[in-house]
Amino acid sequence: MELSGEHRFSAPRERVWSLLLDPTILQQCLPGAEELVEVGPEEYEARMKIGVAAIRGTYQGKVKIQDKDEPNSYRMAVEGKGPAGQISGDALMRLEADGDSTIVHWSGKANVRGTLARVGGRVMQPAAKMIVGQFFNCLEGKTNG
Amino acid sequence: MRVPIALHVNGVERQAEVEPRTLLVQYLREDLALTGAHIGCETSQCGACTVLMDGQPVKSCTILAAQADGASITTIEGLAPIGTLHPVQQAFWDEHGVQCGFCTPGMVLSTVALLAGAADPSDETIRHGLEGNICRCTGYHNIVLSVKAAARAAAAGAEAQPVVDRNAALAR
Amino acid sequence: MNPSTFAYERAETLDDAIALLAEHGDSAKLLAGGHSLLPIMKLRLAEPELLIDIGRISELQGIRDDGAEIAIGALTTHQAIADDPMLRERVPLLADTASRVGDRQVRNRGTIGGALAHADAAADYPAAILALEASIVAKGPQGERRIPAGEFFLDFLTTALQPDEILTEVRIAAPPQGHGWSYQKLANQASGYALVGVGVLVVLDNGVCSDIRIGITGAAPVAWRARAVESALRGRTLDANAVNSAAAAAIDGVELLDDLHGSAEYRRRVTQGLTRRAILQAAERAAGTQ
Repeated sequence: MELSGEHRFSAPRERVWSLLLDPTILQQCLPGAEELVEVGPEEYEARMKIGVAAIRGTYQGKVKIQDKDEPNSYRMAVEGKGPAGQISGDALMRLEADGDSTIVHWSGKANVRGTLARVGGRVMQPAAKMIVGQFFNCLEGKTNG
Repeated sequence: MRVPIALHVNGVERQAEVEPRTLLVQYLREDLALTGAHIGCETSQCGACTVLMDGQPVKSCTILAAQADGASITTIEGLAPIGTLHPVQQAFWDEHGVQCGFCTPGMVLSTVALLAGAADPSDETIRHGLEGNICRCTGYHNIVLSVKAAARAAAAGAEAQPVVDRNAALAR
Repeated sequence: MNPSTFAYERAETLDDAIALLAEHGDSAKLLAGGHSLLPIMKLRLAEPELLIDIGRISELQGIRDDGAEIAIGALTTHQAIADDPMLRERVPLLADTASRVGDRQVRNRGTIGGALAHADAAADYPAAILALEASIVAKGPQGERRIPAGEFFLDFLTTALQPDEILTEVRIAAPPQGHGWSYQKLANQASGYALVGVGVLVVLDNGVCSDIRIGITGAAPVAWRARAVESALRGRTLDANAVNSAAAAAIDGVELLDDLHGSAEYRRRVTQGLTRRAILQAAERAAGTQ
């Protein structure tokens, strides 16, 4: 499954960069994040209750930040495991300055296994987009804080 | 947690205490040994698990046993007395509306309900009415012929008949 | 294949159900016919701790004609809607849509309230509900409210219902007598879900289209009104040329789904084609030529 999109923040690039990589903020903004623990340098373990409306499950996941090029771009390697299957993927985040605002371009590729892969196709793409949207909207709210 | 249920299955009153997540098809197959309700796709598409609930065809893999509390259920075993065939079963036999047989109990029960609402169904009515029953063999052509034969038999007032062992009859 | 373990409560009245939902919140789900909920629970895509069975609440049953409006109880099955003589005469778009949901067995159990509350992107009803400008009635601890169809479907699987509210009925002002209607659907062969479904209502005045409303489901994460097509055709005669060129705008401003069941390009063409067919059929029915 491939996904991409962009989100515009009315805040300078350095500010958006630091928000995106602040574990405390991430825990507040990742939809359904119940726990986010730093397990190594740039490596986090998370327990997230994710989903949309009736479709919901608790996923145990790992996130590793790689190829940091402050404040331009970084990669995130993500692994997750839950009741309906496993997800592993890789996302590129690119921050583009546009005057006083910042456009975050994101694109990712996910490999899905288990029930999610078999039957979730109709559900996952729109659900993933909604969850990413919630995440960015929450971050947006933190840009003034 | 257990949920008490009481229902009529093939005319017999049954009482049980089931786990909430028990599906009707599991209760029928595992507790009552009525294995004519088949488990196929398990995602309410194939219709192999079809039973009649208060006379209407339903997919018993997508109903909790607890939801069926108080209902009257007919499985393929209850359609005609043991040793006899219901006219719809007889029609499926006569027209060879059967190949591997896995979908057949569901097909027959859906047909019984279909004919109750349409005495002389067109091909289109039959195919629309049996949309929820998938035959993977695929014998739809003969199944449609079987439904038409069953409709003619019903119009002629057919009742359940003893199964004829044709090999034995030929041997005699 | 079972759902994971859950507790089960049967609500006898609507107030019981509202109280149970308020008490258990997010960990509970309402169970009506179960034909949206149980399949996703069996696949472990949902694991509620409690199911509140509302399937026997009598206040949520039945179809009533109040004169100005028709009220359809949330527990009314698709088959009951498809078979109802009054709905077939006065709101044929809804009755026909209901007759095309899933298959016979699914229609015998699935309910209009459950289908609308679940808001599957590929559900059939949203097209008709939007075209009919129906209202959804919801009740919660704060009381009852009406939600216009146009404000009900918010996003993928997401409606305007609050977590503590129960969808109680659908209310529809019947379109004028002699209106034309059509529901055109391309169904997924196995599941019967709408890859694209287009519901159209047309009112003609001396051969000129005085009102047209178009709802489209299945092609995007959430159903929508094709308002650009409507405004291009209002006040015109619905001949093939006018309809053909107007129908192209059916997908304007919509981000189409793109998945293993159909690419966005395929859905675009199917949506435009079915929109054209649906308008022409509705126009023929309104003109009395079909």
